[in-house]
Amino acid sequence: MKDRQGIVIIALAGILFLLALFFQPKTSAILNVIINWTIVLSSVALLLAVARLITTHMRHIAVGRRGFLFSLVFFAAFAAAFIGGMFMGEGNPEYLKWIRAIQLPLETALLGLLALVMMSLAVKVFRERGWSVLTISFGVSALFFLFLNLGFLKSGVNPGLDRFVIALKSLPVIGARGLLIGVALGALVMGLRVLFGQVVENE
Amino acid sequence: MPKLDLLLMFAGVVLSLIVFSYLLGDKLFFGISMYLLVGVTTGYAAVVLLKRVLLPMLVMPLMDLPTIPGLLALIPLLLSLLLVWSLFKKSSKIATLPLNILTGILLATAIFGIVRGTLAPQLLSIVDAFDPKLVVKGNLPNWTAIFEAFMMLLGVISVLFFFHHRNKRDKVYESPRPWMEGIKVVGQMFIGITFGAVFVGLFSTGLIALIASLERIIDFVRLWL
Repeated sequence: MKDRQGIVIIALAGILFLLALFFQPKTSAILNVIINWTIVLSSVALLLAVARLITTHMRHIAVGRRGFLFSLVFFAAFAAAFIGGMFMGEGNPEYLKWIRAIQLPLETALLGLLALVMMSLAVKVFRERGWSVLTISFGVSALFFLFLNLGFLKSGVNPGLDRFVIALKSLPVIGARGLLIGVALGALVMGLRVLFGQVVENE
Repeated sequence: MPKLDLLLMFAGVVLSLIVFSYLLGDKLFFGISMYLLVGVTTGYAAVVLLKRVLLPMLVMPLMDLPTIPGLLALIPLLLSLLLVWSLFKKSSKIATLPLNILTGILLATAIFGIVRGTLAPQLLSIVDAFDPKLVVKGNLPNWTAIFEAFMMLLGVISVLFFFHHRNKRDKVYESPRPWMEGIKVVGQMFIGITFGAVFVGLFSTGLIALIASLERIIDFVRLWL
């Protein structure tokens, strides 16, 4: 075992906090204080990560490493957003207008690009995995819901058809429920293993 | 239209075109736009963290130190200083203390969130489907509700069964029993249907975003026509 003290601290902090969470509202006062401390600590950790990112890019610029142009763009954008925000205030409408003018078109265009990439990925799934129960049900479901989203099946015309469509719409919820329970169980076991130091010990 | 708005609109159009240039195989301008986005977002996030979190929750309480909030703020201050120190003294055990505490608390929050926010409601909704008030209608069995409840149970069990019988190489174990194979097929079917619906949701969102981007470009071009 590499760091016994670290594991003990993680386990102690985790178990005490878990107990405080389960014994609410008796522990609400202390819980609020601890949550505030956690928010502050997480923010400091995030700011340190940002500082590390900036120093890395500054090093790239200073050395003139390949692709330092990207680092230069990053640094200039960061400095402009940071200095602007510090002087004008993070809620200033003019400042937010500038930030939005850069973020919004880039994010929207990226999301649009995602639609095209997803299209090619869907074709790739069929090409690589071939015809199986999984791929066929995926394809049929995708086509059906695309058809439904486009508004070809109007509700209120035929009550029987409406009921059938509602029943079909509930099918993904069943699968999603199974997936959610599976992922939650996996995450729970993993979380408990880390909390009790089993994963660190095995590593 | 004011000149500033026009300039911002022009910037938006140029940035959209740069992102779409990726489709033509361009890496340089696409990379520049991505670093620009990361830089602006990081700068804004840093300002928000400083002004909305650290100033009111750490610095302000320290200003009136003899009070209880001031004294309570000394603990996160000490832990924050240790966190900064851990950057320079990585081997020091005391410097890792704040990170270990943070890990423990975040793990506990995650476990609590999973149990109370995901597992319990999802399992309860399956049990609720078998509620006697739902499955019995006027002293007669409500076959639609019973069918729906059993479908839900079968779907969830088959999905979990399918995932449990997969090995690490992403292949399904060959099972000697035909009923096991049957459950796995049902599980695959439900997963396929779910992924298909999720895919369509994401695809539709992407498509709407694509249309919005193209509309922005067309609107800008129309201004000059």
